[in-house]
Amino acid sequence: FANGPSFEDFVSGNKKLSAEEALDLKETVVDQQEAAEAAAANPGKPAKRPPKMRLPEWLKTPIASGKNYTRIKKNLRELNLHTVCEEAKCPNISDCWGGGEHQTATATIMLMGDECTRGCRFCSVKTSKTPKPLDIHEPENTAEAISRWGLDYVVLTSVDRDDLADGGSTHFAETIIKLKQKAPQILVECLTGDFQGNMECVARVATSGLDVYAHNIETVEALSSYIRDPRAKFRQSIAVLAHAKKVKPTLLTKTSMMLGCGETEAEVIHAIDELRKADVDVLTLGQYMRPTKKHMRVHEYVKPEVFEKYQKMAEERGFKYVASGPLVRSSYKAGEFYISNILKKEKQLGVPVVGNDAVVRLADAGIRV
Amino acid sequence: NQYPKRGRPGPGEGFNISFIMQDGEEISVQAHEGESLLDVAWANDIDIEGACEASLACSTCHLILDSESYSKLEEPTDEENDMLDLAFGLADTSRLGCQVLMNKDLDGIVAKLPAITRNA
Repeated sequence: FANGPSFEDFVSGNKKLSAEEALDLKETVVDQQEAAEAAAANPGKPAKRPPKMRLPEWLKTPIASGKNYTRIKKNLRELNLHTVCEEAKCPNISDCWGGGEHQTATATIMLMGDECTRGCRFCSVKTSKTPKPLDIHEPENTAEAISRWGLDYVVLTSVDRDDLADGGSTHFAETIIKLKQKAPQILVECLTGDFQGNMECVARVATSGLDVYAHNIETVEALSSYIRDPRAKFRQSIAVLAHAKKVKPTLLTKTSMMLGCGETEAEVIHAIDELRKADVDVLTLGQYMRPTKKHMRVHEYVKPEVFEKYQKMAEERGFKYVASGPLVRSSYKAGEFYISNILKKEKQLGVPVVGNDAVVRLADAGIRV
Repeated sequence: NQYPKRGRPGPGEGFNISFIMQDGEEISVQAHEGESLLDVAWANDIDIEGACEASLACSTCHLILDSESYSKLEEPTDEENDMLDLAFGLADTSRLGCQVLMNKDLDGIVAKLPAITRNA
């Protein structure tokens, strides 16, 4: 060992980088040096593909484990429920499921199975042209399970089911109706697909009694045809959100976008403006993270300051609330954000902002904001 | 036995495939009979997406084949053609990698990756 490698030998490079410069680099210094050496050693050979980008510090999350996490996982399997948290490999799973000292755990239940009929390039949910048939007991079982868990806020989502005539909208709506019957005090948010633009299906879900209607535009208009499934379109998604608002004006509409797929600032601002024109109330922005090697590469790890900049811009344009950060996802802390922001506004204005008795009741009960 | 053999073929055992990457680099790999070009690419760490996991719902495994091998293949199904129509840089010898299964006729096939992947 005395003659073996010392720590210095493992720390690379003769250059010392400041923290700023280190964050600016798309590749680590080691990779750049290696690439340069390889190019010098093999003149005439085409340059190797750009070396992989390292995950920046602000995106590193712990591996999921712990009592709460295992308990929830067991619960879900026993009830034959799927979550998008597991299927889409969300990095926040240990944060949301672990709960915390004062937090309750949140999970986003995924209805209609774990096989989606679409193949978007950023999503690791399984894809199949012929997913398993719907479980007719799912609405009852899901509603029963959620009502027993004693949650204040729940998010329901689903896979796309283009193989079904109604896109699964009846099944979805039924789950919401049953849930509201069993537990009217729970705030329900639903993240739906676009039902291929069939507005009757959109209306069916929008009028089923939920509180927040969410549908993700995923990315800017220019990149939609590059990264989403061919059946999903930017304008169609905006139309879905506008229609949900139209059939139920007291509904909060919500959407989400991934950054770091190759969009420019102008394109992001354009998307934000289009959303405001459709009177969308809530926006969340997060960093695209490559779920597996079989999916799209990350184009850029957008810095936290840029996320903050977009947050200010969106808030200025009149969204009711905006959540923007690298690890933010559509339903990340959805309940806490919802309640804290709505209650804050109510304090400011002195009147209920969304005509929802449940919110007032929660505030009376002293729910920590 | 409907499934291809497991593991990488031994020397001289498998069929040869040459993948040509976007930057011109040529990578030669071996395949068992019955494996799709996409399966072989994944097994050899070649950077091809297969967003829909071979369920004919995307065009991210689009490959441009050499004309000799292309002519030996059967006509693509309507579903494959629908997805192929959406691919970027469509050529006369384009196919979806997940639908081309290796056999001894295709030994030595050359598959070029298109410059850009687009999904619609």
